[in-house]
Amino acid sequence: MAKQQFAMVIDSSKCIDCKGCVISCKVANKVPEGFSRNWIKASVPAFSMGPRTRTHFQPGACMHCDTPTCVQACPTGATYKDAETGIVEIDNSLCIGCGNCIPACPYGARFRNTAIRKADKCDYCPERRAAGLLPACVDTCPTKARVFGDINNPDSEVSRMLSRNKGKVIKIVNAQTDTKPNMYYIGETAPTDWTTAAVVPASMTVMKEVSPLIKGIVGLSGLGVLAMLGRQFLAGSSDSHEPEHHDEEARHD
Amino acid sequence: MTRLFKRHDKSDIFIHWFNAACWLLLLVTGVGLIGNPDIDPVGSWYPDTLRTLVGGGGNLLTIHVVIGFAWILGFLWYLTVNARGAAFFLREVFMVSPARDMAWMIKKMVLMTLGPKPLKMIGMAPELPEQGFYNMGQKAFAQASVVGGVVIAVTGVIMFLSDKVFTAETAWIVSWSVTLHYIAVGLVFAGLLVHVYMAAISPEERPGFRSMFTGHVPEDYARHHHGLWYREISSEPAAKGE
Repeated sequence: MAKQQFAMVIDSSKCIDCKGCVISCKVANKVPEGFSRNWIKASVPAFSMGPRTRTHFQPGACMHCDTPTCVQACPTGATYKDAETGIVEIDNSLCIGCGNCIPACPYGARFRNTAIRKADKCDYCPERRAAGLLPACVDTCPTKARVFGDINNPDSEVSRMLSRNKGKVIKIVNAQTDTKPNMYYIGETAPTDWTTAAVVPASMTVMKEVSPLIKGIVGLSGLGVLAMLGRQFLAGSSDSHEPEHHDEEARHD
Repeated sequence: MTRLFKRHDKSDIFIHWFNAACWLLLLVTGVGLIGNPDIDPVGSWYPDTLRTLVGGGGNLLTIHVVIGFAWILGFLWYLTVNARGAAFFLREVFMVSPARDMAWMIKKMVLMTLGPKPLKMIGMAPELPEQGFYNMGQKAFAQASVVGGVVIAVTGVIMFLSDKVFTAETAWIVSWSVTLHYIAVGLVFAGLLVHVYMAAISPEERPGFRSMFTGHVPEDYARHHHGLWYREISSEPAAKGE
């Protein structure tokens, strides 16, 4: 378990769909047009007579999962779960933009940033945290629907919220791919059926499947070399060269 | 005095050792760029250590890319100064005479590992069919190196261009390049182990190994190891030169 586990605890009933979090994130992280690191989803409105008509808004972003399928799909380790903070990070200098991680996220939290042409997603605003500020979306939220902190620290606000709401904490999990997300919704939330099963691209699956085969071929080759070395030392000079040589010469002459 | 036969040009010798040095460095840095327990060839300690040594995975990637481009440029240089040598090499390497060369390959593998007895036991003569400028083992590894080298270079350049020209829609080409790069290196490396043993460690090929420095092989080596080539050249230059 990570020493810290930064997480978001969200009371989605407080969300008024103002999209302040989406905009502040785009500004803070210079997210290119047409993309967003976070979102607000809405349930299908339950139309009825008058005041009972209602809908539910649900803020979200990368859930910094405990078993992140995006990390499993990354060939270089450019995306990894930080052992100190529990944050799923992207090392841009090591990311080659292969795109494997994007369909591997059941939450669609990743996209290929058109400006840097590499994977992008929520990283809990490291520059702001270094300056002692909260992530932009949390700071901006006017109703404080989004709360951020370390759930491994029992004194944090997120930990207190989780213990106060024991039994009423919901995680949004895909039926086929449970990535053990670290985004906690308090009370009730909707919609919950919008995730997709993680898809690891065929290129990555092929690489994983042929990997033992390649190791086997290299191993066989190494064994062959060892066998030749063994013969070289045991049978003396493996040159049975000389007699053969003369035979041949005799034949040629 | 034993007659010497020219086998390699200075540019051939240079490109061979240049390639060897690049491959060694590219292998050492490249294996460190694989950071996924499902495909790590030697375990995650290796990429972790190497990345720490050079100050991060990003630096390691830069080093790998720079050496990779130097390697490609080296070959482009070679092709401009010795296109004829390259053409000769490719022709010799890809011209296989199936019956003769397969028999050579199978017998040689048995002879090198088990000795002549098993061949005699199944009633095969342990003598090897005569070979040309390259024997079938050399051809096989050279074919793998040429095809593998092209695949490695092309996929490497694609990965380099990923964050310069590729888009979300075309990133699948980058992803498959990673896979092909990985497979090609693995297969060529398997062949490389045998190449290094045969050329540098096995006593039999010592004169061939020396020729990769001097460019020449002695007559009896040429006759014994490359009989078809020997007969071709021993008549020509001998008649003119010596």
